[in-house]
Amino acid sequence: MAVRANPNLLKQLKRYGADDVTKCFHCGTCSATCPLSQEPFLFPRKSMRYLQMGLGDRLKGNLEPWLCYYCGDCSDQCPREAQPGETMMSMRRWLTAKYDFTGLSMLFYESRTAEVAAIIVVGILSGIGFYLLGALSGGDFGSYPGFIPGHNAEYLTELGWDVKSVVLVMAVFVLGLLGINVLRMWWFTTGSRKDLNVPFDIYMKHILLCPWHFFTQKRYSECDKKKPWVVHIILMLGFVALFAVFLAHMIWQDDTHAHTYLGPLAGVMLVGASSFALSGRLNKTEAHYKYSHHSDMNFLYMCLFVGLTGLAQHIAGRIGCGAFANFMYILHMMGAVPMLLIQLPFTKWAHLVYRPHAMYFAAIQADVIAGREGAKGASAVPHKQSA
Amino acid sequence: MTTECKIGVYVCSCGTNIGKMVDCDAVTGYTKNLPGVAVCKSYKYMCSNPGQEMIVKDIQRYGLDRVVVAACSPRMHEPTFRAAISHGGLNPYYLEMANIREQCSWVHDDHQQATDKAKALTCAAVKRVPFHEPFDMQSVPMNSASLVIGGGVAGLTAALELADANQPVYLVEKDGKLGGNLARIDLTSPYLDSAKDLLAERICRVTKNPKITVMLNSEVESISGYVGNFKAQIKSNGEAVTDIEIGSIIVCTGFREFDASKVGEYGYGRFPNVVTSFDLEKMLKEGRVVMKDGKTPKYVTIINCVGSRSGKYNRYCSRVCCMTALKYANGIKSAAPDAFITNLYTDMNAFGKGCEDFYRRSAERDTIFMMFDKHAPPTVSAAGKGEHFNMLVKVNEILSGEEVEIPADMVVLMVGMEAREDSMNVARLVNISRDKDGWFIESHPKLDPVATSTDGVFIAGACASPKDIPDTVAQARATTARILAKICQGEIWVEPVYAEINEDLCSGCRVCNELCPYSAIDYDPVKKRSAIISVMCKSCGGCVAGCPSGAIKARHFTDKQIFEQIEGVLEWASSRA
Amino acid sequence: MGFEPRIVGFLCNWCSYTGADLAGTSRIKYQPNVSIIRVMCSARIDPTFVLKALSMGADGVVICGCHPVDCHYISGNYKAMRRFPLLKKLLKEFGVEDERVRLEWVSASEGQRFSEVINDMTDKIRALGPSKIRVQLDADKVER
Repeated sequence: MAVRANPNLLKQLKRYGADDVTKCFHCGTCSATCPLSQEPFLFPRKSMRYLQMGLGDRLKGNLEPWLCYYCGDCSDQCPREAQPGETMMSMRRWLTAKYDFTGLSMLFYESRTAEVAAIIVVGILSGIGFYLLGALSGGDFGSYPGFIPGHNAEYLTELGWDVKSVVLVMAVFVLGLLGINVLRMWWFTTGSRKDLNVPFDIYMKHILLCPWHFFTQKRYSECDKKKPWVVHIILMLGFVALFAVFLAHMIWQDDTHAHTYLGPLAGVMLVGASSFALSGRLNKTEAHYKYSHHSDMNFLYMCLFVGLTGLAQHIAGRIGCGAFANFMYILHMMGAVPMLLIQLPFTKWAHLVYRPHAMYFAAIQADVIAGREGAKGASAVPHKQSA
Repeated sequence: MTTECKIGVYVCSCGTNIGKMVDCDAVTGYTKNLPGVAVCKSYKYMCSNPGQEMIVKDIQRYGLDRVVVAACSPRMHEPTFRAAISHGGLNPYYLEMANIREQCSWVHDDHQQATDKAKALTCAAVKRVPFHEPFDMQSVPMNSASLVIGGGVAGLTAALELADANQPVYLVEKDGKLGGNLARIDLTSPYLDSAKDLLAERICRVTKNPKITVMLNSEVESISGYVGNFKAQIKSNGEAVTDIEIGSIIVCTGFREFDASKVGEYGYGRFPNVVTSFDLEKMLKEGRVVMKDGKTPKYVTIINCVGSRSGKYNRYCSRVCCMTALKYANGIKSAAPDAFITNLYTDMNAFGKGCEDFYRRSAERDTIFMMFDKHAPPTVSAAGKGEHFNMLVKVNEILSGEEVEIPADMVVLMVGMEAREDSMNVARLVNISRDKDGWFIESHPKLDPVATSTDGVFIAGACASPKDIPDTVAQARATTARILAKICQGEIWVEPVYAEINEDLCSGCRVCNELCPYSAIDYDPVKKRSAIISVMCKSCGGCVAGCPSGAIKARHFTDKQIFEQIEGVLEWASSRA
Repeated sequence: MGFEPRIVGFLCNWCSYTGADLAGTSRIKYQPNVSIIRVMCSARIDPTFVLKALSMGADGVVICGCHPVDCHYISGNYKAMRRFPLLKKLLKEFGVEDERVRLEWVSASEGQRFSEVINDMTDKIRALGPSKIRVQLDADKVER
């Protein structure tokens, strides 16, 4: 079936960072260099080809950008400086925008102003919200005493219904959005493909790959360079730990063990890894830090901000500066909420959902393709016997 | 005669070229015992200095009077070994070569059979060489004037080069103006210089130079004579005939473009906006790239290899189209920066200086390159109703494995180069050969690329094979170097290999007079005998085989020599049976 | 070893000999049964050359020249072409099979064609068997 070349795709992808893709002359060095590139997913060359030729539909149904973890070896080896690594990164941004049905993702990716403005607006609104929440509920919003003058609040161990319901609404909103988008991703890459026709049990067979890749980033560790994986997993585990602390606090009101030990540790991991990555990007130290889209920078700045404010709040609370701790807490939330509402569903952070799913879908596709080829081989056997 | 000869036989293994297939020691072992052979040796490279010195020393040491070299083709190294034995004090014509490389080791794959054949060929040479006769080279005067056929960039350059060396030149151009195909071109690749700038200066200098006689609207009617002493008739404006005398001839008649309408699937002639490279060139020269309706095209597809590298049309690569296509991509991009340009190619041949960079720059300017299989070329069809473009190009893109449809407002066909329709006549006129595609054949593709099989006739530029401008100019200048070298010598030496009539045997029947294509045989009505004018004879031997009295002898190709050779190749075989 | 034909080839210097050299430089393989004798032009080939070769026990003779219109000597190949039928008539009288003597056009660029001509001729003559003269010559030799 013929596919129509879209003359504007290239121009569009340039806004996502694919500036050098036209330099590629398809020698295939990138695909040969990449240790992750294996049958039936040989990348990045083919994806670069789809992009060059403006085959948007092919690109939309392509999982390969997600299978790349961007160690940068391909970009280093490219004889034409076509930056295959960065091109794959741009395609991930573009795919994130394509998966999102609201169109906000496209807006935030294509316009730096839009993303920054959205973060600021959500940040200010959540600041005001938390402040009012504290004020309305008698000055207590689950943190430290001594913040709002005139209210002699006690340090509360139990969170109020108001905070819980705000969190619940946010969680439903974010998970709903991501759920729908993941379903779209599934449809574009796997579901709509009539040639695949995946049986249900194959979906079940590989389902554990999702959490496996989410928590271990096993595939990243298979890159030849190990350092990027280490930095990434520190950052990721920092978030996981923070999320655990948050859950413990929310559900069991635990603020002793988790808060005392895991919280600061997670904060340090977050600050350490994000400042390493930020410094790398600003100094362009490694291949994968050479090119930065505004979404990359914004995400790292937010990570650093959330980590630093969280740590400051914690330390202030421990040493008894309740007012300062509360101030930091509001700042912390002014960072955390936009991250959760903007960056998680719409921009950079969305990859935490799409990437493990891509591994999952890829394993399913590979299984179906291998099964089909196995069947071909099987049909050849009786032929041989008869001959 | 045979018993008196002392023959030295030298078997070359040519590194491994011969030695790998032919057992050279077995050949020497066999040849050593042939009658008349005084010394027989094999060596790694006979043509090398030590190899040649070995022959020279042996001539003196063993008192050799004939030499046989069993090595490569005589077309390759006969002059080398002739010079070597002449250095050793022998007449150069006392040499015979056995071709055991091109016609033996390289074409056979059985060691025993190849060795046997090498023995047979060497045996034939050993039997032939005693009957060789000594000849001295003939000297004839060299006319310093030259005839340049074709007024394109090659002809202009050659004419200027000769005139700058103060030698008279006749420049004959069929057309009414100078410039040839280059005059049809706007910019050149890869540096985007203006072709007009390149030409204007040349044409101006040529027309002003008193040494150059420019003959426009003219064609060469006939050529007779031989190197250093040609006579030509030039017909101008269809009537006036000028007779000129020249010593050398440079053929630079250029090329013509492939007729794109032969390729049905591209729709040339059917769709108004499918144009050839030369059509586009015309638009670029006029400074306006527009469709037939006057609008600027938004989507342009350039298709390479039109008529080239295909089993159906021409198999060869025209060498310039890839870079010319990039030139167009850049040119259109400059005129319309938003244009979507796709370049469909079979292989991107960016071999010249600056070309790879040019390819890269074009890619950076967002030219989309798509590769197609030359056996499955793209097709052009009309766009469906309601589309915002007027044609759809369909291509099976190799690098992605996808069948892609490309919107197109204009399709540019990169037509290849072809030998001109009159190349056959030109070849006949100057007596040179053409290859299967009609290009003129050079004397040696590597070592003698501008000379031809006819002494004094040279070829330059795209009449010999598709070529870009730098190569054409370089060839044009190379021809003049060859000619000036001959002019400097003042006289030229021609091979004394011609036919002779034995007056005693000639009956005066005059059969040979009619046979000679060069009218080199004179009949003396008083003596009632025919005689050959040696400088006019080109030694084909047609008269020799035709003479009913056997009165004509072909020097260096006598009946006796050939009979001995026949015996030689068969004697080996029958002695073995 | 079975019967291996011996073929003598007379090749004109400008087209066919160069074409045979091209087969060599292109490493196109052909059967080793032909031994080549170079002449300047196919017009130089005296019918006696062919007769001589046959009388010496050749199983076949091939004459190669430039294609019509392409002769280096303008019309030498036409002369060969006109002489050839006369020679064939004579050979027929002598009882020499038609396939044993051939006239072929091979240009300087036709290395491939040269190898095809030689292979085809060798195969045909191999199928035909040795020439009567050769059989006789070999028998004479055994007697001696």
